[in-house]
Amino acid sequence: MSIDASWYLTLAAALFTIGVVGLLVRRNVLVMFMCIELMLNAANLTFVTYARALDDVGGQVAVFFVLVVAAAEVVVGLGIIVAIFRRKVGATADDAHVMKG
Amino acid sequence: MTGSTAILASMAAHLLAAGGIAMPRIDYTAILPELILLGGMLVLVLVSSLSPRPLPTEAYATATVGIGIASLVASLVLWRDVSDHGPFTAVARAVNVDGFGVLFLVLVSCILVVAPLLAAGHLRREGVGGCEYYVLALISGSGAMFMATANDLVLIFLALEILSIPLYILAGFDHLRESSGEAAMKYFVLGAFSSAIFVYGIALTYGATGSTNLAQIAAFLARNVVTSDGVLLGGLALLLVGFAFKVAAVPFHMWTPDVYQGSPTPATGFMASMAKAGGFAALLRVFVTTFPTLRGTWQPAIWVIAVLTLVLGAVVALVQSDVKRMLAYSSINHAGFVLLGLQAATARGVAGSVFYLFTYSFLVLGSFAVVSAVGGKGDERHGLERYRGLGRRQPALAVTFAVLLLAQAGAPFTTGFFAKFYVVEAAVSAHSYALAAVAMGTAAVAAFFYLRLVFLMFSDVGRTIPTHEGAATGGTPTDTLEMPSAGGVATLVAAPVAALVEVAEPDPAIVAVSPWVAAGLVLCVATTLVFGVWPQPLVDFAHQATLII
Amino acid sequence: MGSLDSYLPIFVLFVLALAFAGLSIVASKLLAPQRPTSAKEAPYECGIVPANEPPQRFPVRFYLVAMIFVIFDIEVIFLFPWAVVYDQLGRFGLVEVIVFAAAAFFSLLYLVANGALDWGPVRRVRPVSSLQSRTTASTVRRVGTGSGEAA
Repeated sequence: MSIDASWYLTLAAALFTIGVVGLLVRRNVLVMFMCIELMLNAANLTFVTYARALDDVGGQVAVFFVLVVAAAEVVVGLGIIVAIFRRKVGATADDAHVMKG
Repeated sequence: MTGSTAILASMAAHLLAAGGIAMPRIDYTAILPELILLGGMLVLVLVSSLSPRPLPTEAYATATVGIGIASLVASLVLWRDVSDHGPFTAVARAVNVDGFGVLFLVLVSCILVVAPLLAAGHLRREGVGGCEYYVLALISGSGAMFMATANDLVLIFLALEILSIPLYILAGFDHLRESSGEAAMKYFVLGAFSSAIFVYGIALTYGATGSTNLAQIAAFLARNVVTSDGVLLGGLALLLVGFAFKVAAVPFHMWTPDVYQGSPTPATGFMASMAKAGGFAALLRVFVTTFPTLRGTWQPAIWVIAVLTLVLGAVVALVQSDVKRMLAYSSINHAGFVLLGLQAATARGVAGSVFYLFTYSFLVLGSFAVVSAVGGKGDERHGLERYRGLGRRQPALAVTFAVLLLAQAGAPFTTGFFAKFYVVEAAVSAHSYALAAVAMGTAAVAAFFYLRLVFLMFSDVGRTIPTHEGAATGGTPTDTLEMPSAGGVATLVAAPVAALVEVAEPDPAIVAVSPWVAAGLVLCVATTLVFGVWPQPLVDFAHQATLII
Repeated sequence: MGSLDSYLPIFVLFVLALAFAGLSIVASKLLAPQRPTSAKEAPYECGIVPANEPPQRFPVRFYLVAMIFVIFDIEVIFLFPWAVVYDQLGRFGLVEVIVFAAAAFFSLLYLVANGALDWGPVRRVRPVSSLQSRTTASTVRRVGTGSGEAA
């Protein structure tokens, strides 16, 4: 019944990769946020897996902090988006084009 | 919530198996500077919430300067503690109070003393007063302090976020300007991206070494030879990428120009000094002390990043027509110089990097304050042409800016010279001759665009130019530079604050400089020139930056 | 298998929730009288025929409350571990949690003082000058879709 730790690690790596690729490819800011969440959760999964494999509680505690930081980031991000797109119609990254780059 | 419940259940099982938990002993004096900042921040929030009428921005600025001074005093007390009794760890070995960390405590406190002065005038002019700027600055400062003293990767991650999240908000602080919000969004998306990469790097490092504590990681690596080191090297690489994003090292610098240009100008100066100080503090500690056994692996990577950062920063800055963008690329170039000290990975290199960050922080704060003043109301006019003839219109302001720019260029008799000298010397003594040569080459390129701006400011005034040529070539310019700035104090303070420029006026008139900004600028210039002539105290100070774990 | 036992209550809760939702739907299908008319099929069953689509954007206030909720909700996560080992931490833990709660409470005070939780008529807090930065690109399209002033 027990599943080898490497499966979890592989899943986490896959999630992380999906997040990275998604963030680089997608243009909708909200989807980009979701990709960042995906990356953070991949890290969480890795933490928990290693904590179990190493029988160490430290990795599980780290997950708490990452969760809270993720929530704080999302709130700030949404705040920034709301502040910007109050005056605009859509929510795509290409709409923000006042500056080059 | 079910997920976290499961985690909690298993945590409780762990605790019961271990026979209860060890009561943490928290030495509050060890984190007193951080506590002062956070407590002061809470007081500011409380006062602003409960005061019936909105207080003027200057009141909050004064309070913030007071909090900064208090934390400076606390840091200096810790400093004496460390030099008397040696470095120590506190709070369950998560915080490391050593010479290196305390130096950064002092630096962050100094930034927090100067930055509110430089921001107050701008915030009043743009009509975005209130406690928020100062509260965010204090939170960010406490994050930078924790980054410098953290002894645990998880604490470094938390500190990184405490440092960064307020900076995202500060970038979008001026909600009346469209480019400010855009800068905030770009900074946020890329910053959160880099944080996610960083935390995944921590997770992999944890998996490979079995701990997140820096001392334990180092001990583990010293004891064991990791045979299949894919996970460890992957974690190390991701950590490096995360740090490189924060300190704006090429190829992870893409956000820098846009964010520096779009953010409110005082926030840009604050961001440039604070994020670099915090980011480099943790970067130096993690790589030099925790992974010395892997030095052969990460030193070449740092070498490549340093070369790219130096060259791209200097070369691209040449073609910028916007002063804020130019300073953004020049800050990338500066990051390359700090990386020189890291690449050397010696005590001398670390001291050089610390010295560089000390001087750079004041230079960049002051420079962006001048840019903010010259930009005028609206904070949008930062073209190079706006600086033409500034030396005739407002000689004191122009001389101040000239001193700051020449120091950034590394002119003798300024702190900038010694900063560049020490990191290059460290690189040479670590036998990185090619890197040192590249650094000096880019310093020459960088000097060109700094001097171009200086000449532009004085181009209408024929008689003033020779003074500054003298400064650039290193004659006997200390008197000529100090005299105008000493005389400039009075002029700056007395500058007509009410003379705000009209938007449509084709010929830019006098720009306002509030007494607050003037005071902050005088502080920046004074440190630059005083320690430029007499650097020994600061050098001794930086050489106390002994890293322990 | 032993470790899976602790998940049994969660599993039971999951099954109960599914059963309750399923039962409710099935019961309403079986028991309620089905006499559809065209008025009842309309999107809004209130007697007024919708003239055009409702505005697509929620007022900013909803986002604000959602964000405040998220941040305060997640902070509770730190109270869970404390509650688990409350007995062993004793006074030290109590003081630390009070400090934590005070910090959270101060931010709540700040929110209230700045009107983030007011649900009355919308005050115009932003100065009028901000309207200057509106471009035709942002206003023309808004008028064209007929959504009007959303926030």
